[in-house]
Amino acid sequence: MSGRLILRCWLALVVLLALTTASAFVPLGSANLFISLGIAFAKALIVLLFFMELKTSAALVRVFAAAGFFWLMIMIALTSADYTHRTDQPVPLDRTAG
Amino acid sequence: MAERMLGIQYSTLAQERETVTLGMWAFLATEVLFFGALIAAYLNYRIWFGAEFIAAAKMTKVVLGTINTAVLLTSSACMAMAVSTRDGGGRRAPVLWLIATALLGLMFIVIKGYEYSLEYQEQLVPALNFDVARHGGVAEIFFMFYFCATGLHALHLLIGICLVSWLAFAIGTDRLRPGSTTRLIGLYWHFVDIVWIFLFPLIYLAGRNG
Repeated sequence: MSGRLILRCWLALVVLLALTTASAFVPLGSANLFISLGIAFAKALIVLLFFMELKTSAALVRVFAAAGFFWLMIMIALTSADYTHRTDQPVPLDRTAG
Repeated sequence: MAERMLGIQYSTLAQERETVTLGMWAFLATEVLFFGALIAAYLNYRIWFGAEFIAAAKMTKVVLGTINTAVLLTSSACMAMAVSTRDGGGRRAPVLWLIATALLGLMFIVIKGYEYSLEYQEQLVPALNFDVARHGGVAEIFFMFYFCATGLHALHLLIGICLVSWLAFAIGTDRLRPGSTTRLIGLYWHFVDIVWIFLFPLIYLAGRNG
């Protein structure tokens, strides 16, 4: 990897950092979370593809890298599926027992 | 000479590089799940507690967090330069880049420590001095997450600083045979950077405009 490419990656990372911090102060409702996570993914991709050389790595190495992410998505999806479908209603017993 | 430079189980340097790279990625995949569990917990707290949880995130120090992110991103670029110059066969250049990487890592730890001390003064440290009456129970859960996540990240970074310092010493004194060691430690360093790339918006940027 050439020094010029590393410099360009670093510049892109710093610009994205400035963008994500600035965007957090603009009131956009829940879009704020998605913008900041989207920029985090963009930054992570730059690091993964260039600094961690996945762009030129063997296919098997890329599969290993993707597998970690894939399992993580399963963990987050199933955990969230549980918590988002719970209700927060206390049963009457809770109110009288104390 | 060429045979002596190679681990006994490999037939070529390229094979060695491919094997150890794959092993490192397998380890990093387990690390993804390690930090991923924390992030999954964060997302569910955020869904579960909503506005109260986001309000607690507002008490983190966004300026220090942003500076620290820039420091860590720069350290990763230095690490990439170390790998690149090491590939070129040099010794002096990779050592200097590695020292820069370790120093930036250390700077991150110092800023983080300063941040922790500010949070201690504001009575935001669960189990030590968290003031529930002042900040609320949901904020305590947020700061529990905050200290677990950033503490484990800082621990990983400290290990990285030790590895990078050792590497700079080994290359500088010519004790390291040509191979993939620099590249492997680089992968670990960049991974720790990626963890922070995701922790940063979740911890510091939530609730900044509310």
